[in-house]
Amino acid sequence: MKDRSNKYMNPYLAGFIIGLMLIAAYYFSGEGLGGSGAFKKVVVATINGVNHNYALNSAYCSPLVSEGKSPLNSWLIFEIIGVIFGAILSAAYFGRLNFKVGKSPKITNKTRIIAAIIGGILWGIGSQLGRGCTSGLVMSGMAVNALSGYIGLAAVFGGGYAFAYFFRKLWI
Amino acid sequence: MKEELFVSGRNIPNIDPVLHIWHWQIPLYLFLGGLAAGLIFFATYFFITGKTDKYNVAVKISPIIAPIAIIIGLLALLLDLKHTQFFWQLYTTIRFESPMSWGAWTLGIVTPLSIIWPLLYLDDIIDYFDGKCKIITKFLKWVDKIIIGKCHIIKWIIKIARKYQKIMAWILLLLSIILGVYTGILLSAFNARPLWNTSILGPLFLVSGVSTGVAVIMWMARDHFEKISFSKIDLMLVAIELFFIIHMFMGYLASSEVQQEAAALFLGGEFTAVFWGFFVGIGLVLPALLELMELFGYKIPIAVPAFLILLGGLVFRFIMVEAGQLTRYLY
Repeated sequence: MKDRSNKYMNPYLAGFIIGLMLIAAYYFSGEGLGGSGAFKKVVVATINGVNHNYALNSAYCSPLVSEGKSPLNSWLIFEIIGVIFGAILSAAYFGRLNFKVGKSPKITNKTRIIAAIIGGILWGIGSQLGRGCTSGLVMSGMAVNALSGYIGLAAVFGGGYAFAYFFRKLWI
Repeated sequence: MKEELFVSGRNIPNIDPVLHIWHWQIPLYLFLGGLAAGLIFFATYFFITGKTDKYNVAVKISPIIAPIAIIIGLLALLLDLKHTQFFWQLYTTIRFESPMSWGAWTLGIVTPLSIIWPLLYLDDIIDYFDGKCKIITKFLKWVDKIIIGKCHIIKWIIKIARKYQKIMAWILLLLSIILGVYTGILLSAFNARPLWNTSILGPLFLVSGVSTGVAVIMWMARDHFEKISFSKIDLMLVAIELFFIIHMFMGYLASSEVQQEAAALFLGGEFTAVFWGFFVGIGLVLPALLELMELFGYKIPIAVPAFLILLGGLVFRFIMVEAGQLTRYLY
């Protein structure tokens, strides 16, 4: 089998295709793309499964919880299932499907995993305060010309550039 | 007369309007029971057919997971019981018309035999884990030295089991099928719950359980031939599972209104995404595609499809137990 593990798509072409996908998402589902929204729904569904009354009375969960309806039955969940499906198949096709921790060779897996968990928690909190992540707020927001999308873009990239220096050792 | 006192005669908490009795313990047990059934089935089948050397991991190594799965599953069942201290009363009677009686007696025989089977291959199991996992190796060596080495009764049991291993294999083979089917029939015997009350649930749970057993074997297998063989078996099982699922829904939709309502939970209702997305999509179709790609020469870490199958099997049981409790004949 031919080694394709170092073959990647042109990033500009990939970006263009994501843009087309965004249009298709708005056309077919009436909603944009999103990542954190799906995770929020998983969290709400879990809380709802463990304690339905608590979910009904919680300001965070209650808008997504009602009798006979599951928070998981939404477009974003199907989208994320598609993402998992597509990512695994694509990685398998290009010979990159593997269990590994992507990190700087100078740090241990443990450090990388702890940093990832802390980063993930901050990302989760941030995306809920901002009512969306890079996909939901920035991409889908900008696609419909929402001001919050542009502010989100400036904040995400500005924040990224500002803090990259301090965390560079996790990667290089 | 106070009429307001009998405006409804249906004040039955946790049963009416929907059942709310079975929680995480039951689907976990059904999953582990099915998994153990799959492992035992292949271990005994390949032993009986004289292919022990060809399917080394399936016959000798992976059966060690079976008693662990059964014991954890039984502990989950005990946790579910309201009156734990009375569980032994299941063994005071045999009722052929009760799937629970079948299950109790099957487990009563399968559990000790599934512990004895890996003891017959303890040296091979220690070799398998040696250098890979220190804690397991240490524990197994301790079992070998202290429990087997110093306990004459266990030594005697192993001696007898070795002598009559073929008979034991036949008994386990038969009981593993009963165990796998019973996990589904346990639900389908509830004729008050339209989603469960379908005869296809027994074979579906059996195939799904055997498929999770296959996933564990191909994950543990080190030999390429064994990995590929079980990958092929799993592909066949996934196809059968999909066939059963389609027919299960055809049955619901061609049946009475309550069955159609039960199916609606999965066809646009609240379980649509988890059932078709997480179970059928990620738990069946995706691992099947990965296994197919492997057969065509792509480099696929076998742990990925194996993990997805196990996850799919677990999700399936959680969905069926949860959704089944919501379906009813009453209005």
